[in-house]
Amino acid sequence: MNIAVLIKMVPDTESKLEVNDGALNDQNFKYMVNPYDEFAVEQAVQFKEAEGGKVTLLSLFSEDNSIDTDLRKMLAIGADEIIVLRQQGYRGDKPLANAKALSDAIKELNIDLVLCGIQGIDYYQAATGTMVAQMLEMPNISGVTSLEYNSGTLKAKRQIEGGLQTVETSTPAVITCQKDMTKVRFPALKDIMMSKRKPFENKNVDPIDSKDALTSESSLPPARDGGEMIEGEDAEEKINKLIEKLKMEAKVI
Amino acid sequence: MDAYHSYYGVEWYFFLLVWGIIALGSHVYQVGFVVKLIRLGKNDDRFNSWKQRTKEFLTDWLGQRKVVEDKLAGYAHALIFWGFLMLVSDVIDLSTGGYFAKFLGLIYLANLWNLIVDIGYLMAGIGILFALYRRLIVRPEKLKDSSLEGVLILFAILGIVITAFIVEAIFMLGDEPHYNYWEPIGVLFAKLMQDIEPDTLQVIVDVSYWLHMILIGGFLIEIPQTKHSHLIGTIPNVMFQDHEKMGTMLPLQVDEDNAAVKTDDLDFDNLTLGVNKFEDFTWRQLSDGWACTACARCQDVCPAYNSGKELNPMQIIMDVKNYGKEHGSLLLAGESPDETIVDRFSPEAIWACTTCYACVNACPVHIEHVPKLTDTRRHLVMEASEFPEELQNLFNNLERNSNPWGLGAHTRADWAEGLDLKIGEPAEYLFYVGCAGSFDERNKNVSRATAKLLKAAGVDFSIMGEMEMCNGDPARRAGNEFMFQMMAEMNVDNMNSLGTLKVITACPHCFHTIGKEYEKYGGKYEVYHHSQVLNELKQKDKLKIKDYGDKVTFHDPCYLGRIGGETEAPREAIGGELIEMERSREKSFCCGGGGARIWMEEDADKRVNEIRAKEAVNTGADCVAVGCPFCMTMMSDGLKTLGEEQRTVKDISEIMLENLEE
Repeated sequence: MNIAVLIKMVPDTESKLEVNDGALNDQNFKYMVNPYDEFAVEQAVQFKEAEGGKVTLLSLFSEDNSIDTDLRKMLAIGADEIIVLRQQGYRGDKPLANAKALSDAIKELNIDLVLCGIQGIDYYQAATGTMVAQMLEMPNISGVTSLEYNSGTLKAKRQIEGGLQTVETSTPAVITCQKDMTKVRFPALKDIMMSKRKPFENKNVDPIDSKDALTSESSLPPARDGGEMIEGEDAEEKINKLIEKLKMEAKVI
Repeated sequence: MDAYHSYYGVEWYFFLLVWGIIALGSHVYQVGFVVKLIRLGKNDDRFNSWKQRTKEFLTDWLGQRKVVEDKLAGYAHALIFWGFLMLVSDVIDLSTGGYFAKFLGLIYLANLWNLIVDIGYLMAGIGILFALYRRLIVRPEKLKDSSLEGVLILFAILGIVITAFIVEAIFMLGDEPHYNYWEPIGVLFAKLMQDIEPDTLQVIVDVSYWLHMILIGGFLIEIPQTKHSHLIGTIPNVMFQDHEKMGTMLPLQVDEDNAAVKTDDLDFDNLTLGVNKFEDFTWRQLSDGWACTACARCQDVCPAYNSGKELNPMQIIMDVKNYGKEHGSLLLAGESPDETIVDRFSPEAIWACTTCYACVNACPVHIEHVPKLTDTRRHLVMEASEFPEELQNLFNNLERNSNPWGLGAHTRADWAEGLDLKIGEPAEYLFYVGCAGSFDERNKNVSRATAKLLKAAGVDFSIMGEMEMCNGDPARRAGNEFMFQMMAEMNVDNMNSLGTLKVITACPHCFHTIGKEYEKYGGKYEVYHHSQVLNELKQKDKLKIKDYGDKVTFHDPCYLGRIGGETEAPREAIGGELIEMERSREKSFCCGGGGARIWMEEDADKRVNEIRAKEAVNTGADCVAVGCPFCMTMMSDGLKTLGEEQRTVKDISEIMLENLEE
């Protein structure tokens, strides 16, 4: 089974956030693999180990190659190759354009299954994976919490409000992966070393005009007021004061 | 009267020859087997510094330096040991029918020799009685579960001593007694037996002589099989003790100059990462088991064992030996047993170690427990990728933001805001803050106190700011040697680019790693714990510190005291009247945070820090002084759990700053 995994490189959650005149300053960002996509890679490698085939990682990014080291780690987990689509002016908040670029690249590969995270932790749009499915005219199951494959049939479980839904489809298909779908392995050192020898291809793609909605302004959340420390002799007194405040001041109980 | 005559028409020496061949043959065969097993181990070149090694051998082995630290058991052992060294040649005399003494008589040494042997038997006898008294009457807690082996061995050697005196005595008797006063104890025995009928005496001497010889031969057969193997095993163990600084670890690969091979040049095709097979250990790691006497001193001081965890350092040493014995023929045939070393140790035991080195420090025969555990951790992390889940976060955090908490690397110097410090500029000292001092709220205060004191004393120093990284110790002690090495190489590059020569740090783990480990990675610096620098400033009156009034006790951090060798500077720096805990200085008990344990889960009923916090509470001190960020966290948590929050935990620098005279 040949699998493509779509990987979005997102700013490290600990990156310094700066906004200048309503625009996000991304100059000092360090990038990391979107954590939801890591579940997709792990799942793909598990399928490969069981069924054979190849796992190709596909990522769309600007020409900045500072992402390469972190991206390569996905090869250590067990993927076979990486293709990075280098696009001038790439932005993470344009799902329509990005889905187009990615699906065009997927069409050139001989793929049985496409896996990706449900959303990127940069803009939380949860759109690209589903759009890729549409463009490839493949069935899509989104937000999958567990996935099984049995001779051409995929059986997915989805957590929905108050219950669990089981969905089946045939391959090829596009699956977007929900948090904790599987436990991502920590590669052994020999796998890290081996990964340095695996193919890492950079491919230039043209910018795409799209009707994506545009970010008009970015701003930081308002600074929080300092909390209030509840003083008291012992735990019991503190708790009584807290209950009092919750009732009288916050009026939540 | 003697025992050298024919029995049932066959000469005595015929029986002795047969027995000798059986006993000696069995001994040599078994020892040979063990030597072959140990030689399966990897190379570890300790065949150098012969002068120092000879000196150490004379004091530690012959002089029993560390054995006698435990008074009763130690001196009992020393008496038996020295006694046996003095008497051992008697077996040559007894097996040659007295010709050895006759030969010595020719060169006028017989009398002296007789005296030495006699005193030897006496010393051994006294030692054995003390040892039996300890095992049968005192019965220390740690011996409760030990086997009967020890007692049986003691009775057997007591048998050797008593039969020797009887034989010696009766040899003096006969038709006409001829007392040899060069054998005073023999004479004593002889006088007690002189009225016994000659026929009876003959029976007694025959029985005693053969019992003596049977026991000695029996020992030759038994020694390689039991903990008695330490008779031989301690010789290489003490002679080839570790000459590296305590607590330092071996790099993945070293070049001819004993420097670490750079990560880019590592020969991964021929590299074993850590240990999971018997032969992955170095020969010196393998020899430890046969030097162990099961004295349990390591067990007594181990924080993991004493808090009820899987790990018993003594068992680890026994495990290696027993594994070798049980799978010996397979191993020698070059095959791998199904059971691995990790299986034998158990992962729970491997991950329980705090790498506090109390076991290594307590061992009288230089057994190295900790490397066995860190080596198997290396295997579990780098080869098998099987380790506690919490460590995956640790590794990811270290990799992405170079600190265990995973907080933004760009916020590393935020603690210094408003202090007006030099950042990333060359200065006389580099203040290496470390992760806890940079990111942990409580410990940031320690960094601020240290910086303020250094400024007050006019010390020229700078910090690295965002350029600083974790020193790599948590990754290393958790088995991720490769990650450690990458971090060490980057740190050394950064520090060298600043022209760093002298380093101050408030973290004993940075103190140890940068000061003692980085040399192999190209970084040679003079590294000081902040207590050393601050104390010197205090002694030279560059910092005027009032005497501390409160009742305070000092908890020695493992990597500063026992491993780092500094126990006095922090005490002098604090000043005032210190109340010492029962275990202090080199014998300090770990807070439970070392060996990356602070990043791992700990069962609520098996917490090391609570044991130590209790010891601190027992002193009655109002303040527990610490010199390590992890001790700060562990001791604070420990006191909290005990409901003793009214007692404060403060770093040395905080105490000094409070008492600084303006």
